[in-house]
Order: sequence, then C-alpha cells, then structure tokens
Amino acid sequence: MGRLERIAAEQDRALASATGLSRRGFLSAGVGGALLFGFARQARATQVFPAGAPLPPEQFEPTIWCSVGSDGEVNVNIIRAEMGQHVGTALARIIADEMEADWDKVKITHVDTDPKWGMMVTGGSWSVWQTWDVFRQAGAAARTVLVEEAAKILGVTPDKCVARNGVVTAGDRSLGYGDIVGQARPTRSFTPDELTKLPLKPASERRMVGKDVKALDIPAKIDGTAMYGIDAKIDGMVYGRPKMPPTRYGSKVVSVDDAEAKKVPGYLRYIVLEDPSDTVPGWVVVLASSYPAAIRATDRLKVEWTPGKTAHVSEKDIQDHARSLIADKGVGVMVVNDHGVDDAFSKASTVFERTYTCASVMHYQLEPMNALARLNDGVWEIHCGNQWQSLFLPVIEKALGVASGKVRMMTYMLGGGFGRRLNGDYAVPAALASKALGGKPVKLILTRSDDMMFDSIRSPSVQTLRVAMTGKDTFHGMQHHAAAGWPTQVMAAAAMSKGVDGKPYDQFAIAGADHWYNCGPLRVRAISNDLANDTFRPGWLRSVSAGWTSWALEAFWDEVAHETGKDPVALRLSMLNGEGPDGRNKGEAPDSNGGALRQAAVLKRLAEKAAWGQPLPKDTGLGIATTFGQERGMPTWTAGAARVHVDRATGLVTCEKLWLVLDAGTIVDPGGALAQTEGGALWGLSMALCEGSEIVDGTCKDRNLDTYTPLRIASVPEMDIEFIESTEKPMGLGEPGVTVVGAAVANAIFNAVGVRLRHQPIRPEDVLAALKNKSAA
Amino acid sequence: MIKRILAAVVGLAVVGGLGFLWYAWYPALPKVALPKSGQFSAAQIERGRIVAAQGYCAECHTRQDLGGGPTLAGDYAMQSPFGTIYSPNITPDPETGIGGWSEEALARAMKLGVSRSGAHLLPAFVYDHFTKMTDSDISDLYAWLMTQPAVHMTHRENTFPLSITPRIVLAGWKMLFFRPGDFKPDPNHDAQWNRGAYLAEGASHCGSCHTPRNLLGAEKSGSRYDGAVVDGWIAPPLNEHNPTPVVWTEDELFAYLRYGVAPLHGPAGGPMSPVPHQFLSQIPESDVRAIAHYFADIDHAAQRVSGDKAALELAMQQSKRDLLGPTTDADATLYQGACAACHYNAAPSPVLGRPELALNSALWLDEPNDLFMVMLRGLTAPEGQSGVAMPSFYNALSDHDMARIAAYLRRTRTTRPPWTDLEKKAAEARKLVEIPPVNSSH
Amino acid sequence: MIKFKLNGSDVSVDGPEDTPLLWAIRDDLGLTGTKFGCGVGQCGACTVHVGGRATRSCITPISAIAGAEITTIEGLDPAGAHPVQEAWRDLQVPQCGYCQSGQIMQAASLLKDYPSPTDEDIDAVMGGSLCRCMTYIRIRKAIKQAAVAMRSAKTGETSNG
Repeated sequence: MGRLERIAAEQDRALASATGLSRRGFLSAGVGGALLFGFARQARATQVFPAGAPLPPEQFEPTIWCSVGSDGEVNVNIIRAEMGQHVGTALARIIADEMEADWDKVKITHVDTDPKWGMMVTGGSWSVWQTWDVFRQAGAAARTVLVEEAAKILGVTPDKCVARNGVVTAGDRSLGYGDIVGQARPTRSFTPDELTKLPLKPASERRMVGKDVKALDIPAKIDGTAMYGIDAKIDGMVYGRPKMPPTRYGSKVVSVDDAEAKKVPGYLRYIVLEDPSDTVPGWVVVLASSYPAAIRATDRLKVEWTPGKTAHVSEKDIQDHARSLIADKGVGVMVVNDHGVDDAFSKASTVFERTYTCASVMHYQLEPMNALARLNDGVWEIHCGNQWQSLFLPVIEKALGVASGKVRMMTYMLGGGFGRRLNGDYAVPAALASKALGGKPVKLILTRSDDMMFDSIRSPSVQTLRVAMTGKDTFHGMQHHAAAGWPTQVMAAAAMSKGVDGKPYDQFAIAGADHWYNCGPLRVRAISNDLANDTFRPGWLRSVSAGWTSWALEAFWDEVAHETGKDPVALRLSMLNGEGPDGRNKGEAPDSNGGALRQAAVLKRLAEKAAWGQPLPKDTGLGIATTFGQERGMPTWTAGAARVHVDRATGLVTCEKLWLVLDAGTIVDPGGALAQTEGGALWGLSMALCEGSEIVDGTCKDRNLDTYTPLRIASVPEMDIEFIESTEKPMGLGEPGVTVVGAAVANAIFNAVGVRLRHQPIRPEDVLAALKNKSAA
Repeated sequence: MIKRILAAVVGLAVVGGLGFLWYAWYPALPKVALPKSGQFSAAQIERGRIVAAQGYCAECHTRQDLGGGPTLAGDYAMQSPFGTIYSPNITPDPETGIGGWSEEALARAMKLGVSRSGAHLLPAFVYDHFTKMTDSDISDLYAWLMTQPAVHMTHRENTFPLSITPRIVLAGWKMLFFRPGDFKPDPNHDAQWNRGAYLAEGASHCGSCHTPRNLLGAEKSGSRYDGAVVDGWIAPPLNEHNPTPVVWTEDELFAYLRYGVAPLHGPAGGPMSPVPHQFLSQIPESDVRAIAHYFADIDHAAQRVSGDKAALELAMQQSKRDLLGPTTDADATLYQGACAACHYNAAPSPVLGRPELALNSALWLDEPNDLFMVMLRGLTAPEGQSGVAMPSFYNALSDHDMARIAAYLRRTRTTRPPWTDLEKKAAEARKLVEIPPVNSSH
Repeated sequence: MIKFKLNGSDVSVDGPEDTPLLWAIRDDLGLTGTKFGCGVGQCGACTVHVGGRATRSCITPISAIAGAEITTIEGLDPAGAHPVQEAWRDLQVPQCGYCQSGQIMQAASLLKDYPSPTDEDIDAVMGGSLCRCMTYIRIRKAIKQAAVAMRSAKTGETSNG
C-alpha cells in the first residue's frame, strides 16, 4: 500500500471510529493499477492532491501536461504549489478552455518532483504568466488531435467539426472526448517546436478564461480534509523538534546533556546533526514518540554551544552598515546606469535627497515549518509543502551525501507560502535525522517559537533616493540606492541577474526601483548587505523587493511633488509618458505592451475612483502610489490609494479605505485574482502599520503573537478593487497588491497631518514624535 | 482551605501553656460493632446523604492526588508551609475507618471536635461549624456513613510535625476560639433565611474559606465573610465588601451554587468548583435557594442592586473596548488574540459561557490571585460551567504577558487602583501550580 | 486513559493527561483538520468546540475535557454543509486554507451566541483568529450570509410547526 492510500485509509479508519461515518466525500479508487485520491465536489471537476501515479494505458497524453481518459475525464498536471492562489484551478482553466473541455470532467493533479517537469518553482507571481502559452499550446494540441480523430470516425474532414464542452460535433452527429479516446486510441505527441506552431483560439472564443469559477481546492479546505505537509503520516514515524543554536550560522555544539530530557515519557534520543550542506549548522534534533513529548524533551535538553560571530549583532548594526555601504560609491551593482546621470547631478542647481528604511519582517505563515523524511526503496522521500523544489533537491542531496535523483519531494498543500517555503531549508534537518536512524521516517515540526527563530526574514533595508533638479521644475536625473540582505545571493547565486556593469545582483532585492518614469538618466544601484547575510538567512517575502523599493520610490515622488509645489498625481502622470532613455518605457510585446502609458491609465482611473483632490474631514488624508507590480519583465500595472485618519493625541493611524486599480492583462480566474489582490493589499497594510521585528543579539526578538502583531480582522478597511479589462497576456497577481499600500499610507498620513514618516512599520509613537517635532519647528 | 489553620496551629504551641488539663481531657469511647445493614431506614440514609453533601464530606476525605482514591477513604493531602497532613478514612472499615465508632462518638467529634479515642481533632476538621448541626442531622449522617462501602486504607504518614501539637495545645486553642453549641435561629428572619443560615454557618461551613483567620488560625469574629486567601486563590468577600460592580443577588447566588456558573458573575473556579458540582447540585433545591437567600441578605443585595443597571451597561461598553479597530495599546492587542474571542460580550447582557471579565470578582479583588490562577490552570469540563473548558495558559503566556493582561484589564475594566508587582505575583501564582496542566509549546 | 466524545462517538486517548487536545485529535485520533498554528492560543487555527463552545485545543489538556463533548471541523456537519461551511464555499473564503477550520469553528460558535452579529461582534470574536492570507473581508461577509441562512432556516422550521 502506498503512502497516500495508507494516509487515506488511516484517516478513514479514524473517522469511522470517531464518527461512525466514512470519510465524507472521500474517493479512493483504483485507476489502472495505481491509486489516486481526491475530493468530491458539487460539480465533477476535482483536484487530486497529491499524486504522481503512472497513467493507465487507455489515456491519451499529447503532452506531459494533460491527458484525456476513455471515460472523458481530463487530467491536468500542476507543478505549482497550492498555497492559497487556487493556482491549479486557474491553470486548468487555461488548458481546458483551449481544448474545449467539459469543465465538470476536469481534475487537477499536484505532482511530486520529477525531472520531467523541468523547473519547479512557485513564486514571483509567475505561475499564470509562465504557464499561459505552454498550457494554451497543450490544450490546442489535445483539441487538434481529438478533432482529427473524431473527423476520421465520423467520416468528415476536420474543418467540418466543432469542438465544444468535451464533445466534437459534425452536423447532427457528435462524439464525446472519452469516446474518441476509447475508439481511436490516439498516441500522437508533440515536440515543443510543433506546439508553438499550433493555432490558438482568439480571445473572443474564450469560454472559461475570465469567467467566474469555484476553485477546486476550496471544498477540502472547508471540511478539514485538505492535506498539508504537517498532516503527512507514515507508519512507524517518530517526531522531532530541533534545539536551535544561538546564531543562524557558525554555532558549534560543545556539549549535550539529556538527563532531564530522559525523564520525559516518550523521549527517544537526540541527534547532533552533521550537515555537509551547512544549511543547519549547530542543530540538535530531539526525537520522541509523540510531538508533545518532543516539545517537552527539547525544552529540557541542555545544549552548550560556541556561538557564531553574529551573536550580538543588532538591527541597528545592520542598518548602520547599510548606510555606510550606500555612502561608499565603490560597492554594489549597477542595475541601471544611464549615460549622463553623473553629469546631471553635477550640473543640477538642486539635489533633493531622502532616505527610507524598513524593519525586518517575518513570514508568520500559519503552518509552522515541517517535513517528514524517510528512505524508501533507495530514494529519500521528503513529504512537505514547498515552493521551489528544484532549488532544494540538490541541497538535500548534498546534505545526505547522495547522488542526484535520489531525493523526491512529495507534494502537499502549503499552510501559507508567502515566500517562506521557497527556501526549503527546513527539509534538511528532517532528512538528516532520518538518516541518523537509517532512513526510518522522522517527522520534524518546528514550534512557532522555533519557526520564528529560524525564519528567513525580509531583510531590513535602507534606501537613498536623489533627484537632480533645476529650480523646481525640471528633473535631469535620478538615483536610487538600496542596501539589504540578498536572499538569492545566499540561496540561489546561480539564479542572480547581471548588472549593466557585468556583476551579479539579486533582482529580488532591487526590482521595483527600475521604474517606468521618465525623469532623465537613471542610476539604480543594488547593494548586498553582508552583515545582514551573515546574521540571518535573508528570505523572499511576498512581493519581494517591490514591497519595499516601491515604498521608498512612491513616498519619494510625493515628497518631490510637495517640495516643488506639484500635485502628486499630476507629477507622476507627467513622467509616465512612455518616453525615456533607450525607449525602454515604451514597453514590448507580449509582456509589457503599451509600457508606461498603461501605468498612467491605472493611476488616472484610481484618481477618479478615489476622488483625488476632493476635500476630506480634519486629520484625514488620501494618499496614492503606483507601481508596475513586481518586475519590469512582467509588469502588473497597479495604482493604489489609502484614506487614513490620524489621531493627533495618540498617533494612531486608522486606514479607513483602500482602492486599487490593476491592469494585469487577461484575468484568467477573476475570483482568484480578486482574492490575491485583497490579501496582498492587506499584507501591504499590515507591514505599513502593524508588523515588523527587530534583530537583537543576532536573531529576531519576536517569538510569537504576544509581540509580533500582524493585521487582524478588526483593522481591515473597506476595499475597492478594480481590474482593467484587457486581452493582453496575463501577468501575475499574487503580489502586486502589496506594492502600493505602504507608500499610499505614508503619503496619506502626510496629507492628513503634514508629517512624513520614512520608516516602516509606522508606529503610533513615531507619528507622535513627528507631530511633536513639527509643532516645535 | 485548611492550610491557614495548620500554619497557625504551629504558632499555637507557644500559647499551649494556656490550656488546662481538665479542659483537655476526654475519655475514649468504646469501640462498637459495625451497625448491621437494615438497622437504618432507607429514608434516614437518604437524609444522611443530603447532610453529607451539605457538608462536602467527600471533598476532604477522598484522595485527589495520585490519580484519586476511593470515596471517603481519606488520604486527602492538605498542604501547609510546615508539611502535609492527610485526612482520615471515614468509611465504615473497622480497622482503618470509623466502623468501630458509635453514633455518640461521631456526634462528639462533630459537636466537640474530639475523636473516639478522646484526642482533640485538628481544627482542619471544621467542628467550629459542625457544632451547630442538629442531633438529628448528625444521626442521619451516621446512618449514611455506616452504610457506605467500607474501604480498608490507611492514609500516608503526615509530614506535619504532630509532636508540636499535643493535646494540650489543641485544648488551649479550643478554649480560646471554639464555642460549642447548637445553631440559634434568628427570630427577626423568616424560616428560609434561618434555613440558609443554619446550613451556611453549620454543615456547609462557608466561613472556613470566606472569613479571614487570625494568627492562630481561627476565624476572625469581627471580619465575618470579608474574604480570605485559600490555596493561592482568594475566596471573595460574601458580605457587602464584595467588590463586583453588579451585586450578588439571590438569583445569581443560586445559579452559582446550584450549577457552578452565574450569568453575570461567571463560573466557580479553584477550590470552590466542587461545591456546586459535586455537592450542592445533589441536595434539595430549596436548601440551595435558602443559602442564596441568606447570602443575598448578608451582602445587602437589596440595598445595592439599584446600581446594577448602569454597571452592566458600562461593562458591556467596556467589553468591546480595543477590539473594534487598530489600537495603540500593545496589551490590548495581546488580550485581543488570547482572550477576547471567548470573553467579549455585547449589550444587553453577557452570554452564558462568555464570562464577562468586567463583572468578575477576579478583576476587582485587591490582588490578582484568582485571575492568575485561572489563567494558569484553566478550567476543566467538570469545573465552572459544566461541559465546557478554559484552556491553560501556563506555557502560552509568560509571567510578563500575564502581568500585561492583568494590568490591562484592571485599568480598562475596573475603577480600582492598579495592581502592583504583577510580574512577581504571576511568578508566585505559577509556583503554586505544581504540575503544569498542559504540555504545550511556547 | 481519558475518555470523551469526539464528533458524537465515544473515544479514549491513552496518553499523558497533560497532552494538548490538539495533538490527541490529530495524532492519536487521526483527524487532521484541526491545525497547529501558534501553539499559545492566540491564532485560533486549533479551534474546536468543547461542549459547543469554541476552545483553543493547542493549550487545552485532555485531562480538562474528560467526559466532555468535542466537535472538530470534521464533525461540524455530517455532510460538510453547516450554513457557515456553505457560506464559506459560496463566497470562496479560503486561500491557503490552513486557518479556515478554526475560523469556521469560531464563526459557528459566534452565531450560536449572536445569531445576528454586528460588525462589532464579528471583529471582537473573530479577532482571535489570525488569517495570514488576509481573507478577512470574505470571512466577514460569509458570517453575515450564514447568519441570514440560519435565521431563515429557523423561521422555516418554526412555520412548519
């Protein structure tokens, strides 16, 4: 019996014994000698999660992405992690639309790792954008063959056939896709080159893309049957909890004393991890027969370490270092360095400069880090939710000392990703603990406190922006310097981009600064903060750098507008004209067709909707910001406005309403797009006003919700979100909502009470202090 | 509840010389054969069961640690700073229990605090209250006790140094503080009041926890029902000094005593919890009503009740405080995450099962003991409101966090002065919870 | 050995008395719909009903619930069609879904206490349930929709006698 059937059967038994009922809506059916399981839903479209079983012979599989069974069922393979985006639904809609499938016969399979899938990563809001062409081609391939085969059976030419809703019709005769597969048993497959030549449906013929649909993953998330990594179980597994060293790197175990731990019933042993990959240096894992026993035994285990050199580094140290790096012209990488920028600044009559900072931000994904590892038939299985399997398989292989191909990640749902699970470091200690037990299954779970200590935080950052002006009218050039920890440098150096000076840089620690404004020659310099990189493992966090570069850039433009007596919206529109050095702001098909003018359009629409310029009550202000989402190469044109009220007595900022207008090209799944934008915008608000940590003695000081305070329901403002109708290529939507909110809030505070806050999060005490300074001045 | 008495008895050795030998001496009463089954009528046994429930006999005569023990077989551990004493077996086992006791011996113990052997009993056995019981109630109690299953079980050795409590010391104590004698009805009150008074002052011995004791462990006669500390909990005042903003009316008292939860004042916790659930729910409703009637008079409910409407309205306003949007108060944010989901209430009145902290005595007492004890221990399903539970925040909240929540509630939900040294007091309360109730992470 | 009722059936757990109810439900009794989030009773992901009242199972020891009736997300409704679940499905509330069992259990309990909840009631009671995907707007809407459905169902029952 395989793992899934076993898990399913065990849950079935448990439920039957606990409830007297069989597992509700649970399907466990033999398919071609292998078993799959999935969850019933009202319509017949289903998702299978996880799976990876071989296909039965009577299936037609024109590409690796989908198959059609003789029963008419269409399976779509999803290589992306499900972490709340309903990604499988959106992607399956693309393929099903193009192949004219019957949606009620579509199921999705979230697959385990296999080299045939190519790069497996879910991040950067890329999934729909990256899959759009591939899945349309795959759908077209399936439709083409099914129509050809139907035509043969019906004795007509293919051009007499029409495919709709899983049926091919010619005149008054028709054949279902299942019948076609059953009778013709097609085997044709397509080369990538053939695929790109297949004709695709015009936008006017789309029947699913852009239409509302119920997400396939949701039913299981409402009745408790959804399987997350933490729910994985294997017979005979033991539970582990780490005892973590005082520093992220460089700590060495001096001694371990488990005398007290031995008194905990269920305690088995401890393991001092030997990690050739250096992912979890200095870790000790405590094993027990139950997780509560592991919790207590770990508390009682005494470990002495020699700490790493960052044991006393503070947030201030890191930020001071960032400032000194920015001041040093010789460091960093030029991401943009237009001809004439130095000249512009040397000739300017005025240089307007401001510096913006952001505190460390923690992921606090609700499912704590966990992984279940075992050796099974010579292959190491890692059961967990993960966003970047391709990145971490080699690391786990290195840690275990095994050859490539000897580790598989088995796919589960993610109880929150937000970028934390792009970094699969948590799988390493589970694998090493299992290795120490000869491959016996070990389920390692971090308590929340462990999880926060081990977080790959969003690095604190310092950014300095300058604009060169003549008087108050003309901009001659601009500079944007940003220093922060670089996640990609630390974890995936090979994936870094090259700057114009040929040096590698982390695009996820600068994107957003390379904007579409026409403000003369531009210099964008990205600087890796080595003290940050040494102290903690910087992480990718929802909207990555665009969450903080945009905060600086968009606050800066408001400051420039106020300085020069211009209207902030008018100032931006004057620069979002599609012009600029190298013609780069014109945009390029297919990703950025229309360029800066599309950004101008969302900003105009937003200003209209939010009634920009209209009077507001006392101490209430409206602030705006606009971005291109995440990356120039995949721009989601975004504009946001925040209306805030500031209590002068306490400094409390209340966000009353958020408006967002986005142009993300074609919207594949409108419900999912709206949900992602709602969530993203509220993340932006949470980071602007509610959450932020601080590094004290080498680690973040916060260990749980008693001091770390993400946004809760009562602080949620009214929201108005609009997507511009478009048939352009779809862009990402997981993160753009984040990018505009921070600056919009800061700009709104300024418009409400006239004080400028340049540090995120904006705390009431900062507002009070600023108000006090202002009245003193 | 007995700890204070035991502590004081030690001090008593100093004044032991004040005892007089004649006062100290009682003869042993002869050992008798166990009464035969059938000697007592079913009706009498049933009446005796009620008397035993009125006096909570099983509570202090049944082992609770080590997974519990047989009912009435003793070995209940009473902690004191000087050691532990264990209660005796009162099942009718002839060797280890009271099977050899005559009714006269039981009556002498109850009324005079003297064992069958003639030894003075420690005042942990609250004969200062039992002395008020009627002969017929004691007779019924005897019938019930003698028909309970006999358990052969001796209690553990006392670690309390009994050598310092010789007969003469106890005799001296009794001479100073013990006034034997029947309950005297008050002709100025009606029968229900007198019934309540008889039970409260006698068998149900309410004052033994709710009246402060003097240095020698005797209830202070001038501070009757002023409230006192018991096992780390504060047994609140039962008189007009009770600080809750809404008074304890007869209905509130009745619900609390009968069902373990009062709609406005919340659930019974700590040492009080067994009183309703195991005992007062098992006696005639009219008796519980009588006790409630009596205490509604003692706490002057009728004179104070006029302020309740305004107090309730204010409490309902306060209940939503800091929960409805952003706040500058980090302590409020902590309260919001940890407590408010269960403790929020909306006008006009609290929902049963949502104990309203603004009305609960725990927030209004001079010290935060009860608040800390309930946070650390939680409430089990048999305690408080039956069948529901409050989690244990033992590992979930640090001393610092407990102090933050206590300070926040005190300053936002009451008009009392702030508590002081909260973090230290939280740590002290934590020490009293010997075994962490839940093995959770932190 | 602690005995209690889980989703209507008698069950027993043979573990230390201080075992958190959460892990007894998940690991000993095999119902994994109830989730481990913060471990300190402040995120709500582990919310179950004890005697019908929403309770944080991560810090409730099994000793405290001996003899009590526990309901988890799996037992809220035999068909997964409690009005709160229906509203959740209809409004497509969950994103990652990890907090949603707890949100639904808390919401079902809220509606028992406050059948016509105001925004204040929702903010105050649901304020203890963290959703990191920030599905709050839909949670609020879905609670109101479920309240309407429950009230009309009740009216229907009454009028049907």
